[in-house]
Parts: sequence; C-alpha cells; structure tokens
Amino acid sequence: MRLPFTPIALKNLFSKPSTVLYPFKAEVQAPPNYRGKLTYDPTKCVNCGMCVKVCSPGAINRIYEDVEGGQHITYEFDMSSCTFCATCQDFCSTGAIKLSDNFHMAEEDHENLMVRGSYFKKSVPGKLVRGDDCVFCGLCEKACPEGCIKVDRPNKTWTWDEAECVRCEKCVQKCPKKCLEFKAAESGVEWSDACVYCTLCEKKCPVGAIKVDRANKTWEIDKEACIKCGTCVSVCPKKALTLND
Amino acid sequence: MFKKMIAKSMSKSPWIYHMNTGSCNGCDIELVACLTPRFDAERFGFKLAGSPRHADIVVVSGPITSQSKDRLIRTLEQVPKPFCVVSLGSCPKSGNVFKGSYSVEAPLDKYVNVDVSVAGCACKPETIIEGLYKATLILQKKREAMEK
Repeated sequence: MRLPFTPIALKNLFSKPSTVLYPFKAEVQAPPNYRGKLTYDPTKCVNCGMCVKVCSPGAINRIYEDVEGGQHITYEFDMSSCTFCATCQDFCSTGAIKLSDNFHMAEEDHENLMVRGSYFKKSVPGKLVRGDDCVFCGLCEKACPEGCIKVDRPNKTWTWDEAECVRCEKCVQKCPKKCLEFKAAESGVEWSDACVYCTLCEKKCPVGAIKVDRANKTWEIDKEACIKCGTCVSVCPKKALTLND
Repeated sequence: MFKKMIAKSMSKSPWIYHMNTGSCNGCDIELVACLTPRFDAERFGFKLAGSPRHADIVVVSGPITSQSKDRLIRTLEQVPKPFCVVSLGSCPKSGNVFKGSYSVEAPLDKYVNVDVSVAGCACKPETIIEGLYKATLILQKKREAMEK
C-alpha cells in the first residue's frame, strides 16, 4: 500500500511554520517594480505641472510663494490620497518623481503621509537694452556704481557688462534721451528648419502653446503660454527644437 | 486580581471589526490575507469579530458611500469604548479617485477620530499589520487613561 504525501507531511511536521515573522523578527522587501511611497527630487523639477494634470485622484498640489528675486515653488504629494498608479512618474520628463519600494505607510499623524519638496526659481534677470536715440553722452557710465557701462564717445561705441551689473537702474534714470531699458531676457524654445512638421510637439505640449500646421508648413509658439518645460524638446524626433534658459 | 487578568488578556487580544463602506474589495482582500498562515496577524491576538459589539479595533475600508454613511455611524455607535479606528487605504482618508462624487461622503475624519491611517491602494499586508500593531498600542493607552 502506498501512502501519498507521507514524505511531505513528515517534512512539514518537523519544519518551521511558513509564517513571515514581520515586523519584529523578519525584514520584508517589496517585490521588484513595487509602487510604494513617492519620492520627489526638487532639484530636477522644471515645474511643467504635468504631474498635477495627470493625477487622477488630485493628490498633487502646487504652491507658489512670491519672494524677492523669484518664487518658492512647493510640490505637495498626499500619500493618503494617492492611487499609486505611477502616471506622474511616467509623465515626469526629468525623472524628478519616483515611486520607491517603501511600503511603511501606516501612520498616526497625517503629516507623515505627505511628501513635500520645494525649490527656489530665480526670476530671469533683465538685459539692458539701448535704443537708437543714444547720443553717447556718457552719463550712464558716470551714473553706474559698478562701472559696468563703457561709452566711447569719439568711436560711438557702447558696451555693458552683464555679469557685473547689479540692476540698480541708475543708468536708466540718468539717461537724458530715455533710450535705456531693462528688458526681460528672451528665453524659450527655439525652432530650426530640421523640423518635419510631425506635430508631436503640439500633441505633447502640456499647455497647448505650440501650433503646427502640417499643410502650410508653419510652426508657431505662444511665448506667453510656454512654461519652458522642455517636453517638446525631448519628444522632437528630428532634434529641431532647443531650449534656451 | 481579576481586574489585572482581564486587563492583560484584553491587551493581548484586540478583536477587529471590519467595515466595508463601498470599497473595491482590494483592501478587504489584503486584510483577510493578513490573517492567513503566511502573515498570521493572529499571533498578535487579532481576530475578526462578527459583531461591532465585540470589537476593539474598527477597520474601515472604502470611500464611504451615501448609502453606507448612516450604517457606518450606527455601527461605530455600537462599539464599546475604548476603541480604535483604522482607515484602510486611500479611500476612507480622502476619497481617492472618487472624491467629489455625489455619492461619496469621504473623508472618514468627519464622523470619527481616525487613530491610524494605513496608506496604499491597495495596502500591503505588512503595512496593515504595522498599522494594526500601532492601533493596539494606542488602544492600551486609551484603556489606561480610561481606568484613571
């Protein structure tokens, strides 16, 4: 007569229970690709707002705080509202958002379930622009406390050292012809003729700033609407776009 | 002497009452998985009670639908004090993807003080065990405070 399973039964009789003695006597690792507590690296973030847009439970909050010389941008991720779908991670063009394998999320204090990160975004300093009315009087040179403006009256040349300038605007006030002005630097996406008008950038732009007309071969960007996230640059198959910061 | 014995045995056997308030069943399955031999939450004395009148810890899952709201309040009133409330997953804490729906009455904080919130969608059994263990510690403190 055969006794089925006898060896297994005997083995199990003398072996330890299969219980994982968590949390006191055993450490547990999450399986590969487990989507746990979110991590956010504010140094990589470019504030494109894509994560806020794609988050289905609306667990991501963005807070702007105006400070001198720029903005404090804070991202708030509420883990008690998250579905851990990792769509934010997939859409993050710079890899600032990563879902870690940390599953220890049983908390008494709700504050511990919040993931926060903030960074300081400097406002783009303006460039000093000289108009055509300039008579090379040299008053701006005298007014400049840093000596960053050089005017050569006989040769009619005017130079400005951007790195030395402290933007005190004394030159602007002193100019008798009112032809000096600080203008916000042009920054944004630059287009080149390698473009094949595939409209990928138009589709991927999170704010809809790009308009591509395939039939008439035109490419237009709304510079006011553009948030300089760089998504169009990264999706361009022809590398026709560049981002100037 | 009996009082001491009762106090000790109470702390070693916190019974759980599980309340589903419109959950998708993900967290419910994970809670039941905790009681299987593999995770074996019963080694801490946890046991699923059939009635809220026997419970020490109330585990709530789901985003609290309008239909279940009155039942939830009625159930919580029946639980003898002191008791702990554990919210399971994202739903009871915030409403998760259902927040803003006409038929969802989350968060749970509106109706009762949530002692431990276990995050995850669905939460891992290990996380639930962690949360339940934290709840027992709170329960013990509450009991001591009540005796004084």
